[in-house]
Amino acid sequence: MFKQLKARFGSSLSVGIIAIIGIWLIGMVILPQLIMVDYSFRPNLLPSEIGTDKDTYSLNNYETLFGNSIHLSIFAKTIWSSVLVTILTLVVSYPLAFYLAKVATPGQAALCILLLIIPFWINEILRTFSWYIILAYKGPLNALLLALGLIDRPVRFLSGDGGVMVGMVYAYILFMIFPIYNAIESLDSNQVKAARNLGAGWIRTHYRVIIPHAKPGIATGCIMTFMLAAGSYAVPALLGSPGSRWFTQIIYNWFFEGGDWNQGAAYAFLLLLICIGFIALVMRVFKVGLGDIAR
Amino acid sequence: MDSSVHLDNVVMNFGDFTAVQKTDLKIESGEFFSFLGPSGCGKTTILNMISGFLEPSKGVVKIGGKSMAGVPANKRPTSMIFQNLALFPLMTVAENIEFGLEVRGVSKAERKKTSDRLLELVALEGSGSKKPDELSGGQKQRIAIARALAVEPQVLLLDEPLSALDLKLRQHMRTELKEIQRKTGITFIYITHDQGEALTMSDRVAVMSAGKLQQVADPITLYREPQTSFVASFVGENNPITGVVDAIDGNLVTLNCGVLGKFTGRGIGTISKGQSATLFIRPELLKLGQTGDMSFTARIAEVNFEGSYLTLTALLNQQHAISVQIGAEQYTADLIPDAEIQLSFASQDAVVIAGEGNV
Repeated sequence: MFKQLKARFGSSLSVGIIAIIGIWLIGMVILPQLIMVDYSFRPNLLPSEIGTDKDTYSLNNYETLFGNSIHLSIFAKTIWSSVLVTILTLVVSYPLAFYLAKVATPGQAALCILLLIIPFWINEILRTFSWYIILAYKGPLNALLLALGLIDRPVRFLSGDGGVMVGMVYAYILFMIFPIYNAIESLDSNQVKAARNLGAGWIRTHYRVIIPHAKPGIATGCIMTFMLAAGSYAVPALLGSPGSRWFTQIIYNWFFEGGDWNQGAAYAFLLLLICIGFIALVMRVFKVGLGDIAR
Repeated sequence: MDSSVHLDNVVMNFGDFTAVQKTDLKIESGEFFSFLGPSGCGKTTILNMISGFLEPSKGVVKIGGKSMAGVPANKRPTSMIFQNLALFPLMTVAENIEFGLEVRGVSKAERKKTSDRLLELVALEGSGSKKPDELSGGQKQRIAIARALAVEPQVLLLDEPLSALDLKLRQHMRTELKEIQRKTGITFIYITHDQGEALTMSDRVAVMSAGKLQQVADPITLYREPQTSFVASFVGENNPITGVVDAIDGNLVTLNCGVLGKFTGRGIGTISKGQSATLFIRPELLKLGQTGDMSFTARIAEVNFEGSYLTLTALLNQQHAISVQIGAEQYTADLIPDAEIQLSFASQDAVVIAGEGNV
């Protein structure tokens, strides 16, 4: 890589570029993570006690989670809800991605993508607040449903998983749509025609021809959505509290309210590990390799 | 079974653009029928209307006498071989062939039987478990044919399926396609811009240009009796000479071609005295020496040896290039550039068609 850079930019500039990347990667990404790993194995001590006999490595911080049934249940719920969010986002995104990739004219597709992107120019907190307003007990959605006569008294969308789901599907839809869109777009349209020509209806054409082709894109989108959902803080904090707590909120509490960084770090790594394990499992089940995703 | 295809006064418009002008054509059951024309002439649009990917703007497509209006592509008794074949890359060869049967709910055992039989028909026994990417171009071609035949279509549509193959393979596949058509007896509708393919394989050929059917005839008639100047110049090589109609004698029309002289040929269609018309004479019907009744001199510009024959490019009156094809055995040492030669043709061999002949 250095050779190629040198050929293009000369040696001094290349050294500079690599140094910047190195400092960034090591100093700002890898080292802080390693420090957190270190933290997670050590007890939470007063500054004066650090370095004394009490400062030993142990798995105590990790064990705490398994001894706390409330935390465990929130942990399980976070994983489960993230799965639901991922499935919901997929269900919403796939038809849209297919429409954009194969049905819409270039003009329609461009307009549609623009409309999808514009809201993301606004800060995530603000976007989530707008859903807070929409879903509020006396908010516009309840007013609309009441006016249509579909409900006879307002529904409490917030303070529960429903609001969190809606907010998250909305927050992560682009991360799902674009990989799937890219995957479907690369499908030769004649494949769809061939399937139709051989008698396949739309459902079979999708599940036998289009979805197998788009699988790497679907996997990428699902992984991104799942990771983002499991690690989300703003959406559950704004749309779910107090009825629906997310595991990230507990991690936040350890860090900033409990002041126990060591415990918080251990929780954060547990979440990361379980998420990675879960993704590996799902990839195995759906027979998607890492190579497919990079494709 | 009646597997004729009737384009009943079909028109196809895309917005303001007319891709296919009003066409009324009946393709007989069991016929090998080709649509021949340059790209953009509307032949693929016709194929898409027959297969159901497009609905005609006006008129109806009838297959086996039944109107196909409103019948979606997946419910028509047609099967298509795509230009790029469009084999399913993630399925095995056998799964590809069996796909149409799978759709129809045929049992696994039955499907296997059919795919084995078809693999045998296309001489690829034992390749069922391979992926399409493991096969060569010609083999993929044959899998595409097998896949299309598996659903037992009444009509097989072929969209320039041979264009991606090299010359030898292409010639081989022509024979093979013809053979498969003979064995299965289904109607083949073939789309191509390659006249060689159209002429060698087809029972009848429809020549198309700019969304309009120019002529529908068997290959020999098409070659010998072109009805329009487009057909005359598109099918095979032809030398056009444009002039003004000077005299009409029975079926013979004489053109006054100004400085090039006067030429006579068989008149096609309605031609009246004084109008401009074009005479077409094929390179192989021009003879050296004075054997035909139309004779003239020309100067050789170029000599190309092509193996069994020679192509001479000769200039008539220093300006009008015509090409002459002679057998290699007629070659003599004095056929060199700048040599003056005597050429002739029989007026019955040339055709005269009204118009300037510009296509």
